Amino acid sequence: MTSAHSKLYSDDVSLVVVVVDTNPFFWATAALPFADFFANLVHFVNSILLLNHLNRVVVIASGVSSCAYIFDSSDASPAGGVGVAATFDKASRRVEEFIAQDARATAANSSAASANAAALLSGALSLAMCYIQRIFRSGTRHPQPRILCLQGSPDGPEQYVAVMNSIFSAQRSMVPIDSCIVGTQDSAFLQQASYITGGVYLKPQELNGLFQYLAAVFATDLHSRTFLRLPKTLGVDFRASCFCHKKTIDMGYVCSVCLSIFCKNQKKCSTCG
Amino acid sequence: MPQVMVVARNFMDMVAALPASKLDMLYDSAFICEAVLRSLPPLAKKYALQMLYVLAPVTATAMEEWVREGYAAKHRVAIDKLLQLRVFVEVRDKRKEVSYQMNHKFQDNMQKYLVDGGCLPREPIPLSITGRLPSSADLETYALDQWECFLLQLINSSQVEKGSFSSSMMKTFQRGLLSSRDGEAPKLTENGFQFLLMETNAQLWYIMREYISSAEERGVDPTELISFLLELSFHYLGAAYSLNTLTDVQRVAIKDLAVLGLVKLQQGRKDSWFLPTQLATNLSASLSDSSSSKEGFVVVETNFRLYAYSTSKLHCEILRLFSRVEYQLPNLVVGAITKESIYGAFENGITAEQIISFLKQNAHPRVADKIPAVPENVTDQIRLWESDRNRVEMIPSHLYEDFPSKEWFEQCCDHARDHGYLLWEDSRRMRLIVRGEFHSEMREFLRRQR
Repeated sequence: MTSAHSKLYSDDVSLVVVVVDTNPFFWATAALPFADFFANLVHFVNSILLLNHLNRVVVIASGVSSCAYIFDSSDASPAGGVGVAATFDKASRRVEEFIAQDARATAANSSAASANAAALLSGALSLAMCYIQRIFRSGTRHPQPRILCLQGSPDGPEQYVAVMNSIFSAQRSMVPIDSCIVGTQDSAFLQQASYITGGVYLKPQELNGLFQYLAAVFATDLHSRTFLRLPKTLGVDFRASCFCHKKTIDMGYVCSVCLSIFCKNQKKCSTCG
Repeated sequence: MPQVMVVARNFMDMVAALPASKLDMLYDSAFICEAVLRSLPPLAKKYALQMLYVLAPVTATAMEEWVREGYAAKHRVAIDKLLQLRVFVEVRDKRKEVSYQMNHKFQDNMQKYLVDGGCLPREPIPLSITGRLPSSADLETYALDQWECFLLQLINSSQVEKGSFSSSMMKTFQRGLLSSRDGEAPKLTENGFQFLLMETNAQLWYIMREYISSAEERGVDPTELISFLLELSFHYLGAAYSLNTLTDVQRVAIKDLAVLGLVKLQQGRKDSWFLPTQLATNLSASLSDSSSSKEGFVVVETNFRLYAYSTSKLHCEILRLFSRVEYQLPNLVVGAITKESIYGAFENGITAEQIISFLKQNAHPRVADKIPAVPENVTDQIRLWESDRNRVEMIPSHLYEDFPSKEWFEQCCDHARDHGYLLWEDSRRMRLIVRGEFHSEMREFLRRQR
């Protein structure tokens, strides 16, 4: 698959949409406490805003049953821009509200509550792509967008179709999806996402130094990526999940019309008939 | 646009040319660190961010591995820029290996800035004292008016409406852009014409550079001016700051800046204050593409006609530089690009590239999205007219004739051809033309032959 580097970037103005995994089931047992992780993240956000006065950052939180926009750097008054300390306060308050809200929603819908619950990556990616499309339509001078996913929870195979659709639409719009895994297992979805869209996939070994990883690798703007050596993945997990049971499968049956994947031979394709 | 980069880098070169101690003093202010960081090329910015929390020096060879093959030149440029501005400092260890470390002051200040944010040396005055402040639209029109007035003064020193500029200040601004012969009114020089066609940001930086370099002549410390200018861009747009918070040097500077439209001075009952305009807050946006949402106003047609939807006198004057203005309507200027008008522009020292980039940058939004924004036949024709003027090339040279014998002539020809300065030979009449610089060498050769 061709990468997104075929587009020519002339300057380093960027829009970074950060998708943060706030799945409480994962963070309860994670090695790095959520507060430290969030502090690293806000520090990274401030450093991106520091690099260029036209840079913009949007933070989207993905919970277990919902996603929401947490922070948008262009919300501030056009007078002076968001002060650094104010960013941290606003973002922390908002993310706490969101986690509480998400916990209530999950409790109400108790079918998803389990230790292996996945974060709602598909919803967050869709929110990100919608925001980016709005930016594309805002005029000829817009920042170059990219998406950064900070994921810790395992993948939810039931989201396979939705996630792949978002990945293809990102590929179409030439928006790279970078991934940084803060959990213990690799994520097949994000590996595929970064591979297909030309982004960077990284699983840091030292989570205490997360800011340094973020600043060294993910702060690179799209213009400079053509010159720098960035981490390359050795192998990509291309496994799909079947459309009928949402199980991850290696071999299956494919509809010859719409290419939907099934684990059992079916007479009629459920997608296209 | 390459032009912005050239001028801005010159400003930064001026900053880099300051002695090391003064530069370190500048880095005391977190805002100046930020402005310097933002002025670096993108690769250098990335390196600076990467090294922000690294305390030990990193060897140069390790850094070279950060770039892919083939881009070593870009890497070198970035490192040089960082060293010039003393953001990176060279450290040599016992094995004579070169390693780079971030300037401690810069590092500490940036780390603190990232955590706390910076605090300006002054706070905005509350509304209770100032009363109603001008809106941002008012400020923008004020800034544009002042700036246009200033540029109009450049073009037409006699035709000034608001004649409140102090003459000594105008002189410093117009150094290099105007030349005045005795008895005649000042005329624009070649640089002056090129200056008019530049983008607003590039023009601003040029003026700032001239202002600061002339500051030394006036006895003002350029370091203070530089730090004040860079800090100014971080003030809140449209908020009032009291004049009491400024030092004397800054007070003088502020009056000059008000004339240019960077700030607006206002007077209350007891205090006076200044409001930064958009021109000031955009000062630190030197390298990135201009953030001006100024709309273009020029439509160029394939029949060489020009339509400019603008009411500004300045735009009309600029168009008169290279086109023949035919009608001037209340909201429209109609002109045509003709051979005579373009030749006139070339006489004044404007190049075809500048005219074409001016037309492209100021293209009306209706045509700006089209590719190309300016029709190719127009751009090609302007370039052809320029190359017409360069048809005849002049090289100073020497003519040698009256050679006594044919072999001598042949030997001289071969000698000249081998060394690459033979321009023309005529073997029938034994005449030889050689580049002017090599006349003495030819004479030596001839003397040796005899």
